Amino acid sequence: MARKRKKAAEEGEVEANLLPVMNVMFLLIPALLLAMEVARFAAVNVTPPKFAASADQKKEKEEKDKPLNLKVFILEDGYRISASNQMQGADAGKSADASKPTIPLAKKGSNDLNDFERYDYAKLGAEAKKYKDLFKHETVVTISAENTIPMQVLINTMDAMRGTDCKLLKAMQGETVPEECLFWQSIVEAGAG
Amino acid sequence: MTPDELFLAKKAAKKAARRGKTEDKGDLNITSLMDIVSIIVVYLLKSYGSDPVIITPTAGQKIPLSNADAPITDGVPVYVSQRSITFNNKRLVQLDDEGNVDPAALTGHLIGPLYDAMAEEAEKAKLMKEAQGEVWEGRLILVGDQKLKFSTLVNVMYTAGRAEFAEYAFCVIQMGG
Repeated sequence: MARKRKKAAEEGEVEANLLPVMNVMFLLIPALLLAMEVARFAAVNVTPPKFAASADQKKEKEEKDKPLNLKVFILEDGYRISASNQMQGADAGKSADASKPTIPLAKKGSNDLNDFERYDYAKLGAEAKKYKDLFKHETVVTISAENTIPMQVLINTMDAMRGTDCKLLKAMQGETVPEECLFWQSIVEAGAG
Repeated sequence: MTPDELFLAKKAAKKAARRGKTEDKGDLNITSLMDIVSIIVVYLLKSYGSDPVIITPTAGQKIPLSNADAPITDGVPVYVSQRSITFNNKRLVQLDDEGNVDPAALTGHLIGPLYDAMAEEAEKAKLMKEAQGEVWEGRLILVGDQKLKFSTLVNVMYTAGRAEFAEYAFCVIQMGG
């Protein structure tokens, strides 16, 4: 017992060297900050809904030029597309049921409105590309939806119409809008179709 | 001197010797620490300073995802979750379980309490811009929820339009950003 006490007294108290620990800790802080998942916010610019465009205004506009007037209506069971005031599939004397979607759901029979992936965004994007090839100068699409459609579906629809490879960041800084951008100006309208 | 007294005397002598001895000092190099702190400060300043508007979603709100890359420019945010509409840090309107605006607060498409708050804010902002010799753009940032119903969204946009907000942007979270 006495020997033990003597040995401890000889060795003395050893203090831990905190310097390397502190160095590591302070390096860990920026490392963790950089590794942190940061949600980057972005903006989708939209034009407000037109509730009461006067008939005179509409007539005047129609007489001036013949725009594409592309409209996408989001239904609970798919998309209905119309262009130049004519529903897709009803051209050249064909008749089309106005209540049925022109692009049905990708997940057929899915009734869950909050299943955002049930719409056929790829096909919608392909249709947008077709229209863009025909009307290269057109950039505007009017999007409307049924009351129950969730916002995420509206955003996904805008993304598909804008083009998956469309990057508008440089265009907002003064450069020209890239060719990959299809219909990048969205008008959100209530009850259109 | 008794053995006990001798022991205590020896102990006191040892203690005194130990106290007199200079202690080993672990000097911390403050320069490297200052370097790290400076890096953190610059990083945080850059992160917070780059956004003109600070978006703080309300509890339980899931902001829609998008591949849009346009940055959020200056504007007034309105938060529309599945449960409520918040403007200027005030919860103005409650939404029911299905995400519809309380019918008592709704006149057609106009949401009464939201219109009052927005009109007041628009008036203030206009006066401030006039004093600065600038034109008020009336830009609204709509911070919605993934499950927000289109009808409610349209009601909010209509109300904002009536309160003279002319430009709208949907706030989204950049996918892969």
